[in-house]
Amino acid sequence: MESPAHRLVLPACVESLEEFRRFVRGGAAACGIAPGEVDKLDLVMEEILINVARYAYVPEAGTAEVTYWQTSPGRLRVEISDQGRPFDPLAADPPDLSRGLAGRPIGGLGVFLVRTLADSVAYRREDGRNILSFEFPGPG
Amino acid sequence: MTIEATELEKAVVLKVTGRMDAENAPQFEQTCDLWIRRGAKHLIAELDGLEYVSSMGLRSFLSVAQKLQPLPGSLILCGLGGLPRQVFEMTRLLGLFPVFETSGQALATL
Repeated sequence: MESPAHRLVLPACVESLEEFRRFVRGGAAACGIAPGEVDKLDLVMEEILINVARYAYVPEAGTAEVTYWQTSPGRLRVEISDQGRPFDPLAADPPDLSRGLAGRPIGGLGVFLVRTLADSVAYRREDGRNILSFEFPGPG
Repeated sequence: MTIEATELEKAVVLKVTGRMDAENAPQFEQTCDLWIRRGAKHLIAELDGLEYVSSMGLRSFLSVAQKLQPLPGSLILCGLGGLPRQVFEMTRLLGLFPVFETSGQALATL
């Protein structure tokens, strides 16, 4: 039932975001994910790739690699990897969402959205690579 | 994303259309900063045409509201729907902003 993996490698920078999203949207359409869900997938991709673009290689430049395959009809598995310094975006404390306006921290919402909108979100370090994986659609 | 500003007596209405993502969210914050520097205290964001907002966009909304609060002023959200509304709800940000259906309703409270 699993489809062959599709792979795209681009510079790890904000400018690559749209091309990566277009690539994974193609996979979502091919495996029958409803068009209405695709904006959520875009959001998950953006939040993960922005972290890679910002933190993986600074101050040098490098590449990000996106791989996806269908795990079952209507279900996509995506892995986003880089060869930068070890960085687990899931290790940070979740943002305190109970604070009022003045005290509300500005960061941390991206990872929170990834965990809310995707399923089986996981980080691993393997052969000098950071790999963040998720399945889509998630529960949210 | 396009931002169309209308200066009124009590507030500036900013009509935001399209997708607010990592690439263009700073543009929203810079536009708001410009109006704040010109003395605006209340900014009304008309978001009927906002199709998408990521955490970078949320960051801009939050940062602008935090700058306006002590003036005292406010960033008012109108017409929020679809996934952008869900994103504001999930992150429990919706309760931190005055929220109205239309900018007319928002203006009536100022």
